[in-house]
Amino acid sequence: MFYGAAQVSKDIDLVLFPDSTNYKNLETALQSLGAKRIAVPPFSPAVLERGHAVHFRCSAPGVEHLRVDVMSKLRDLPDFAALWDRRTVIADEAGEEFHLLSIPDLVAAKKTQRMKDWPIIELLVAIHYRENADRPRPPWIDFWLADARTPELLEKLVQRFPDQARKLSSGRPLLSMAGSGNFEAVREALDAEVRAEQAKDRAYWAPLKAELEAFRHDERRNP
Amino acid sequence: MLYEDMPDEWKEWLDLTPIQRFRESEKLFAQYLAMGGSLDPDPDPTSPFYDEDEWRPGAAYGRAGLRVLRRGAS
Repeated sequence: MFYGAAQVSKDIDLVLFPDSTNYKNLETALQSLGAKRIAVPPFSPAVLERGHAVHFRCSAPGVEHLRVDVMSKLRDLPDFAALWDRRTVIADEAGEEFHLLSIPDLVAAKKTQRMKDWPIIELLVAIHYRENADRPRPPWIDFWLADARTPELLEKLVQRFPDQARKLSSGRPLLSMAGSGNFEAVREALDAEVRAEQAKDRAYWAPLKAELEAFRHDERRNP
Repeated sequence: MLYEDMPDEWKEWLDLTPIQRFRESEKLFAQYLAMGGSLDPDPDPTSPFYDEDEWRPGAAYGRAGLRVLRRGAS
């Protein structure tokens, strides 16, 4: 929402540094929202460290039914300290601060098996390029070339930054064809990237889903 | 999609500052809730968190969401 690629997910995702003080502080904050855990897994630092997300539903006035998902580890992303260093901070008129995953980290986090995440990635990169195209920094150029998801934007990027595109093409082969004007071939390659990333996400979640099933089994036996 | 190819409504949205987007979203959400909209997430069977028993609409956590009363001609 802040970054412009609005997705009506009706929930809030929090990434938590899983130390005991922070964990207690979050528990207190969740209590003030009347938040109850609504599904497995249980809420504990150890569970978060394993890569699970813990789900809550709020009941306090004004936030009834709001979902809050808490996690501390995201697939293929660095640890919390690195994410925190790279975060975006946005302040409102009263000085209230919102600490957000950086756009490149958010894009990486959204490379999931869920189809609805991929159009958001496309928009996030397009918006980031539009807002920063006049003053490109090397890491941003790499980010655009690595994550742009439309043939039109890829063509523009490859023509504008040919050296960086050549350098990155071994990691992203479709960059070699992005300047050819063959949009259909680029689209097919983009689709193949999505399928490959979805397969990686499914493989990542397979053992965690087995753990979730075990948690469910435990909770049904010991409610 | 390039910015130039986006519909005008999208361009207007992107031309806002992040805080302006947040404020506008707050207004939209207030309106959505006032109309009876629910904050229950839509079920997403492609999510690894999806569990049919826990996310079934209308179950313990559910309440009526928006429903279509009339569709336009097009």
